[in-house]
Amino acid sequence: MSGPRSKAARVGRGTAMTVAGLGGLVFVSVLVYAVLTALKPASEVLSVPLHWLPSTFEWSNLTLPFTETPFARYFLNSTVVGVSVTLLNVVTCTAAGFSFAKFRYRGRDTAFMVVLATLMIPIEIIYVPLYSLVYSLGWVDSFAGLIVPAGTSAFGIFLMRQAIGNVPDELIEAARLDGAGDLRTLVSIVVPVVKGPMAALALFIFMLNWDSHLWPLLIASDDEHRTLPVGLSAMQADNLGSAAVPMMLVAALLAALPTVLLFVTLQRKFVEGVTMSAGIR
Amino acid sequence: MAVLSIRPKAPRSPAPSRNKPVRGRRKAVGALFAVPALALFLVFAIYPMLRVFYLSLFDYSLTSPPEFVGFENFTYLATDPQFGAALWQTVVYAAGTYVPALALALVLAHALNTRTRGSGLLRLLYFLPVAISWVAVSVIWRVVLNPDGLLNQALGLHLNWLTSSGSAMWGLVVMGVWKETGFFLILFLAGLQSIPDELHEAARLDGAGAFARFRYVTWPMLLPVTAVCSVMAVIRGFQAFSPQLVLTNGGFGTQVVNLFVYKTAFENARMGRASAVAVLMFLLLFGLTLLQLKVFARRDR
Repeated sequence: MSGPRSKAARVGRGTAMTVAGLGGLVFVSVLVYAVLTALKPASEVLSVPLHWLPSTFEWSNLTLPFTETPFARYFLNSTVVGVSVTLLNVVTCTAAGFSFAKFRYRGRDTAFMVVLATLMIPIEIIYVPLYSLVYSLGWVDSFAGLIVPAGTSAFGIFLMRQAIGNVPDELIEAARLDGAGDLRTLVSIVVPVVKGPMAALALFIFMLNWDSHLWPLLIASDDEHRTLPVGLSAMQADNLGSAAVPMMLVAALLAALPTVLLFVTLQRKFVEGVTMSAGIR
Repeated sequence: MAVLSIRPKAPRSPAPSRNKPVRGRRKAVGALFAVPALALFLVFAIYPMLRVFYLSLFDYSLTSPPEFVGFENFTYLATDPQFGAALWQTVVYAAGTYVPALALALVLAHALNTRTRGSGLLRLLYFLPVAISWVAVSVIWRVVLNPDGLLNQALGLHLNWLTSSGSAMWGLVVMGVWKETGFFLILFLAGLQSIPDELHEAARLDGAGAFARFRYVTWPMLLPVTAVCSVMAVIRGFQAFSPQLVLTNGGFGTQVVNLFVYKTAFENARMGRASAVAVLMFLLLFGLTLLQLKVFARRDR
């Protein structure tokens, strides 16, 4: 749908944009409400009728989660786990993609098909045996239990195989003629060409992991290992009264901040990741 | 993880097997690059997948050795009203959330598929909830759904959204639509952008109106994307867990299947029975996916 031609089309477009605009306002009003309410004095948070603006902005609310709860710890844990899982995925998926795309060996196609078959298995379906496995490995309440099982992804392997398949063989042959080993070829020739897909994969995995709740709840729900979703949920259970509303909102909004900022700055990469994960592009 | 690819044909890149393979001893070296990923897969995906079928035939509490019980877990589930309720409530949640989210996303995608000033900002407004984790969204919406919260005051109601059996599910559904519409909007926008402008241009020259162009050009071209979206919607709907745990703990008619499995496995220590539910869900999701692909494939012709 390029530029509208007729007057009718322009009017139609205008109506559509207006409706979409009003809908957008409704959608974003929830976040505006959350931000403003987070900065209200506790006595004003649930006033009837609704006052959007606080009578005074309570900037001190911003530190409440840090002084009242181990929020900083949860944040740190989420960051450590999110970054580790992302790095592991980028490394394992790129290496596997290179192998599947540029080498021929017995069992390669079978292995790749097995990987593809797991695309459809949600963790919810396998978490009972997965838990008992991690339990017998002695990884309950450990970062290993949070990080290692999430260390690769079928989607990532599929994506990197596609991307590396597009790298011209001549480029790779040239590197070999220059005496570069396979690892060297991967790092200095292939990786620079597929930086884009790698970045989309990294962003996608990081955001997915930041949202991960069920697995960390099972595997590491002690205070020392809790990630943000588990920690936030526990904080919420302890603070149901309206006096704690500003603190809980600040905590939720701060927990959302990293992924929202990443999303706003790298929107295109994220969209790429989502659409590639669905096989649309 | 709800990622899947249902492209029937080979991907657009040249098939790697057609590329000139590397000869000699490098073959074996090449396989080594796949080892870390494949090892993780075998241990943390394939093995648990097979074991869930095995465990579903046992009475198993994690601390004592599994005891073989045949199909007892399945016959128990068949008559357990709690499981039936969980299944029904999952269907209600999934349909209530994803049918409106998909419809809204489809309409919005058409409105926002322009380069007009403002459309970028609007997209961002709809995308933002996608970037926020489910638990953070739930914490925010506890306040929105409070009897004195934003939703009631906007609607002029005074409902106890989360503490009554009549409304708790609908509170979660409203929140779900808010969170998920943007995700499908991304997919539909990508789909719309993959339709060549010439097709619309040609239809316009043939005198097709806006509706006819949608019906005969956009809709058929969007079918593959719609198929992907609907498969993803079913999977995401059946993955529901966090909001139900955080906001209602499964009370007031909101106990979805995943919460039922969680409680069966980890509060009642019935690992075998929980595995049986997982097996049933796997078969159900698999069946639903095949069914949807079949429906869309037929209409595609």
